Amino acid sequence: MKFTAYKPLARSVLLESLRRKDLWVVAILGFLIILCAGTLGFFGFDGLEIFAKDLAVTVLGLFSTIIAVLTSCRLIPDEIKNRTLYPLLARPITRFDLLIGKLMGAVVVTWISFLILCGLTAIALTVFHVQFNVIMLQYVFAKMIGLVVICALSMTLSIYLTPNASATLAFILAFGTPMMTRGLTMSATSVGPFGKFVYATINGALPQVQLFDIGGRAVYPNWAPVPMWVIGFLVAYGMIYSFAMLGAGWLKFRKQAV
Amino acid sequence: MSIMKHWIVVGTMVGAVTLGTQANKFASIVNPPTRIVGLQAQDTHAAASLLGQFRTSFSALLYLRADLYVHGGVEMRPLTHNEELHGRTGASEAKDEAEKLDGDAAIVTVIPSEKEDFRGIFGDVERRVASYKDMAEHHHQSPTQTLPLFRLMTWVDPQFIEAWTSAGQIILWENKKESSALAVDFLKRGLDQNPESIDILEEIAYCWMKDNSNQIQPAHKFESALPYLLRAKEIGLNNLKTLSDREANSLKDNYRKLCICYRELRQYDELRKVAEEGLNLFGEDASLKMALAEATQKR
Amino acid sequence: MHPAISVENLFVQYKTKKGEIVDAVKDLSFHVQEGEIVGFLGPNGAGKSSTLKVLMGFVNSQSGNASIFGEAAGTPESRKQIGYLPEVAMYYPFLTPLETLTMYGELQGLKGPWLKKEILDLLDLLGIGNSAKKLNRSLSKGMLQRVGIAQSLLGNPKLLILDEVTSGLDPVGRKELRNLLKQRQQDGATLFFSSHELAEVDMLCDRIILMNKGEFVEEKIVASLKDELQTFALVYSNMTSLRGLTDHIVVRDIDKFEARFGTKEAMITAIGRVQAGGGQVLDVVAKEGSLENYFVETVEAAA
Repeated sequence: MKFTAYKPLARSVLLESLRRKDLWVVAILGFLIILCAGTLGFFGFDGLEIFAKDLAVTVLGLFSTIIAVLTSCRLIPDEIKNRTLYPLLARPITRFDLLIGKLMGAVVVTWISFLILCGLTAIALTVFHVQFNVIMLQYVFAKMIGLVVICALSMTLSIYLTPNASATLAFILAFGTPMMTRGLTMSATSVGPFGKFVYATINGALPQVQLFDIGGRAVYPNWAPVPMWVIGFLVAYGMIYSFAMLGAGWLKFRKQAV
Repeated sequence: MSIMKHWIVVGTMVGAVTLGTQANKFASIVNPPTRIVGLQAQDTHAAASLLGQFRTSFSALLYLRADLYVHGGVEMRPLTHNEELHGRTGASEAKDEAEKLDGDAAIVTVIPSEKEDFRGIFGDVERRVASYKDMAEHHHQSPTQTLPLFRLMTWVDPQFIEAWTSAGQIILWENKKESSALAVDFLKRGLDQNPESIDILEEIAYCWMKDNSNQIQPAHKFESALPYLLRAKEIGLNNLKTLSDREANSLKDNYRKLCICYRELRQYDELRKVAEEGLNLFGEDASLKMALAEATQKR
Repeated sequence: MHPAISVENLFVQYKTKKGEIVDAVKDLSFHVQEGEIVGFLGPNGAGKSSTLKVLMGFVNSQSGNASIFGEAAGTPESRKQIGYLPEVAMYYPFLTPLETLTMYGELQGLKGPWLKKEILDLLDLLGIGNSAKKLNRSLSKGMLQRVGIAQSLLGNPKLLILDEVTSGLDPVGRKELRNLLKQRQQDGATLFFSSHELAEVDMLCDRIILMNKGEFVEEKIVASLKDELQTFALVYSNMTSLRGLTDHIVVRDIDKFEARFGTKEAMITAIGRVQAGGGQVLDVVAKEGSLENYFVETVEAAA
């Protein structure tokens, strides 16, 4: 692993994204959020703090996931398609270094987009006189770790599948895992020990993205902040799962003829 | 030129926020209490249809969110048939019977409790990051906090009858002296939008019947309720063949309430008439039968 | 001392989309010594690019060995010593040449103000110093090729592997590039490049390696090859027997003949015979051999 390689790779991803005006899309989305909130405020619906926060975390979760998937899914296939991969692989770095560097770039782009959206949403929420508290900071932090998992998952899928297929599957996993987990927990009461073992294996393989979403709790005023050990667990799980995903991607990418 | 573009965007954003924060000052001017003209059902224009679909979908979503907010974000689901077969129970586990609501025995939280969760630490973490409470600690937030949501719902879709009637119930739930008057006031706005609604008429009548503001003349509340019940009965009878199941149920309730009103006002002839009429329409109904028996006896 | 490039019994296979196995390189062996400029020639599909890709580690060989200065080809250690120019490469359209080269330089392990100075010097040397801060997407094909050449020269690599190096360059650019590469050779670099431009090969290379259909055909020292390809013509009057010297005689007039010889010595002997037979030498011409003809004939013979 060559740590000095990650910064230039990540910087190139960020610069490309900035100049391609990807972040403008984010700014426009944020602007629309403010506009909608402003419109709602304009018609005088006081007392909608919980609804406004609920809407905000839903929109943030949706858009940040879309940005994470679309940014990560195209990085490696685009490098191959545009033949920009050759001069990169001609450098004294391993393909694993390349994957990490590219992932870091995708994560930085996603994080910046997410934080811009958070900032604009926070402005929009002031229309509803929302008070910000510790759990909201925890929400932002946990979500950022969750986005790393989604980026790693999407990038790995893009090594095995076409960009469109990988984006579709990444969306299914990112948005569908909570539902699949619900299905498993609902039916788990009626299966035996072996069934539970199979369920636990399936559940372990799925990216537990719902664990990184504290939004459902943050929108209500009466919930206490999440314990620190949970935040520590999320960081550890996020890192382990992301590295496992990268490893799975590397298994194919290291021998892939380009 | 490029800098100018940036400033236009930034300026527009700032403008939108400023407008939003100052919105209340304009509210009375631009936001009439309810819309006078709703979307016409016969308007088949594509845009109108699309707008209609958006309105109904959005207001239905808000209705579901309102239920979630009352539970502090704790998502619930009914027990599956399989779970019931395996002896799983819902709210019957609640320690405090006073907090147990009707039907909760068949409801569990979407996130399972620790003892029913096979996921180990993943489950433990989810119970701490999501809005999770064990059913044993099941309690509700004050539903009045959802009133703005109902206001939004009825603004988006003024034909959303359940939203009007539920909001009326919530206002009444506070059980204050002025609650009935406030609920009636709100429901009358709904009636303006839906003058043929049996449900709203019946709900207004119910709000009057629950009025406890006039202790000197307790019969007053039944007198106030009666015109609404009679109007609802008239609409129901005029549209008997086209009533939906919900409206038919409301009509049945309407007859029961009419019986209560006539009984409280000691108008036994009227009581007998409506009880008979109700029984003719709805067959075996214990309440109406009792009302008929009482009317016959009192005569 | 290890050779700059060593390839032994290399086999490379590809799988087509239909699942068929195609042999791209078959039992290829050659060496490139340090300080040489070697041209790697062959028609389209000969296996040149596949061989270069194995040397860079982009493709794995089925068997055989390839090494760079003794290090197994394709490893980061071997790539430390290589500057590589791909046949067709695009450079990030939304980065400038300066940013592009900074990224490649940093990946090479270079950093700081020295890197920036080297980049600006290289861009100046390649004639695109003025475009250092323009986006790559706004540059012409030739300018992008110069960006590519600049990235391959970054960090003064000991070995330059260049695939179709002059592609997209105008005649002036080609000449400048030739001078630059010659200069690098004088500074101790080894150059190994593939090209279809035989004139470039002629002007630049010390040696050529010829491939066809994945197989090694032959290798030649360019100076010797030129000698081999050179022909001589003698125009003379009065019929004289040149038997034993050439069979290639063309009657150009009633009393005017043109004889062609493969060597200078044969022609000098023929001049003696013409003069001895009372003939008159009207013209003597030395003709440069055509590398193109050699290429075509050799490839056809190998097919």
